[in-house]
Amino acid sequence: MADKSKLGIEFPLYSLKVEENKIAEFAAAVAQKEDKDHIKAIYRDVDAAKNAGYENIPVPPTFPTSFVFWTGGGLLDIVNLVGADLSKLLHSEEDYEYFTPICAGDVITCKMRVADMYDRGKKEKKGRYAQVTILETELINQRGELVLKARTTFMER
Amino acid sequence: MTINFDAIQVGDAIPAFTAPPITRTQLVRYAGASGDFNPLHHDETFAKMIGMDHVIAHGMFIMGIAGEAITSWIDNKYLRRFSVHFLSMTQPVNLDDFENTKGRATITVSGKVIEKYEENGEKRVRCEIIAQDAQGSRKLSGFFVVALP
Repeated sequence: MADKSKLGIEFPLYSLKVEENKIAEFAAAVAQKEDKDHIKAIYRDVDAAKNAGYENIPVPPTFPTSFVFWTGGGLLDIVNLVGADLSKLLHSEEDYEYFTPICAGDVITCKMRVADMYDRGKKEKKGRYAQVTILETELINQRGELVLKARTTFMER
Repeated sequence: MTINFDAIQVGDAIPAFTAPPITRTQLVRYAGASGDFNPLHHDETFAKMIGMDHVIAHGMFIMGIAGEAITSWIDNKYLRRFSVHFLSMTQPVNLDDFENTKGRATITVSGKVIEKYEENGEKRVRCEIIAQDAQGSRKLSGFFVVALP
């Protein structure tokens, strides 16, 4: 059962450097490619990225999911902290707002908080009832610019 | 390739995009790349413990495939918003029964332009997006917004 006393808590800030190889690894995974040579050039070749108008190798649109949960002990510890039961948990929505491209070499600071917790439906009505937890993360780069906002909705049935 | 705002009309379809059938190996690759080690996505014994027949794909893997569809059409740098609801689970293909199970593991992404507008001094286009398997089961639906020259 989600622990509603956790509503509003902020997880410890943390920063990481966006690494070229991590971008290539993630790009290969979502494109279902076996290796770096088969992914799009902008994800592995800095010259191709610059020709396409980026400062450095950019990240795929959902790349932030690879590090936004690296706080508070990681995704499974976050789930434990909000009191949710992993075996009943569904990721129901994901929402990204992009402000500035994230590129290799950027140092990104993540600020995650429990933005909302509420019950959907009535307990008596099986199937519809769920406990909803929403995590919001702001990503800020080394220049202090807000680069992305991520909003992750989990439902526990 | 850059597409101009003026070249896009409301109702235009985004180019359809079909990914290869998802295998368990690709789920493991995605788990490693994304850091999402929920055992539901790689450990069949855990899946069975919670009453499921098979491991299932990460929802974010399917969203990643939808992201591939978008960025095959419009460069990443123009993306302003990408928002989805996850609708149903995706089981990987069984290698010992490939022909009968490839349909459930093959994701096609489609969508269309629903609005053209100006915001924050940019010309923006909002599109709806849907990912479904080859049997017509919808995996996610949502929208994305791009700002175009």
